[in-house]
Amino acid sequence: MPTITVLIDSPPTARYHAATVNALGHAIDERDDRDSFTIDVVHTDAISTIGDAVVIGPGTPYNDPRAAEAVITSARERGVPLVAT
Amino acid sequence: MLVEHARTLVGITDATHTEYGATGTAIVTLLACSLDGTQIDIAIAQSSRLASIYGARVAVEQTTCNYGLEPAHAEIATMHGMRAVAVDDTGEVRAVERADHPFFVATLYQPQLTSEPGKPHPIFIAFVDAAAVAEK
Repeated sequence: MPTITVLIDSPPTARYHAATVNALGHAIDERDDRDSFTIDVVHTDAISTIGDAVVIGPGTPYNDPRAAEAVITSARERGVPLVAT
Repeated sequence: MLVEHARTLVGITDATHTEYGATGTAIVTLLACSLDGTQIDIAIAQSSRLASIYGARVAVEQTTCNYGLEPAHAEIATMHGMRAVAVDDTGEVRAVERADHPFFVATLYQPQLTSEPGKPHPIFIAFVDAAAVAEK
């Protein structure tokens, strides 16, 4: 049951927030195992752990840029898939 | 991602994004000409993950970016395992990736803006595939 963490600070109503979550959904919906995925949207100043993969969403300045960097470092060092847009 | 890369791997410990202020070494800086709301043509590097994902060497993408990799530090995109894998028609870096990682891709454009139901963007397809593999 893969969990994808989406690190983004803009509100759900913001265009780029919605587009990011929707784009993940479009890709997941094409899969036979679509129901196994969880998307966990988290603000940079509230992140504690990351899931099986991470999306760094658009929208600098981040609330907590050092937390965003720590997530990137962790994903790189642990081999966790990451895409940043 | 580029600021983290500069700080952690390249050794520019005061690397920063100019949006956060004037102190430090600016790695990501305001573009001379904003690309916000524009379409850009990108050329994708041969033998890159990105080329494999797209199945093509060129693409048209939408971007909201007002910032980009500072030209004076463009070399960091090719250091310590990072590879610049897409450039726009001005030659500025638009995507980077790591070859030593299951999936580590950053774009200076927004692929999510061209994703549609039933026609997901190839970057998100590949990323979700990688997430499924990572979980196993």
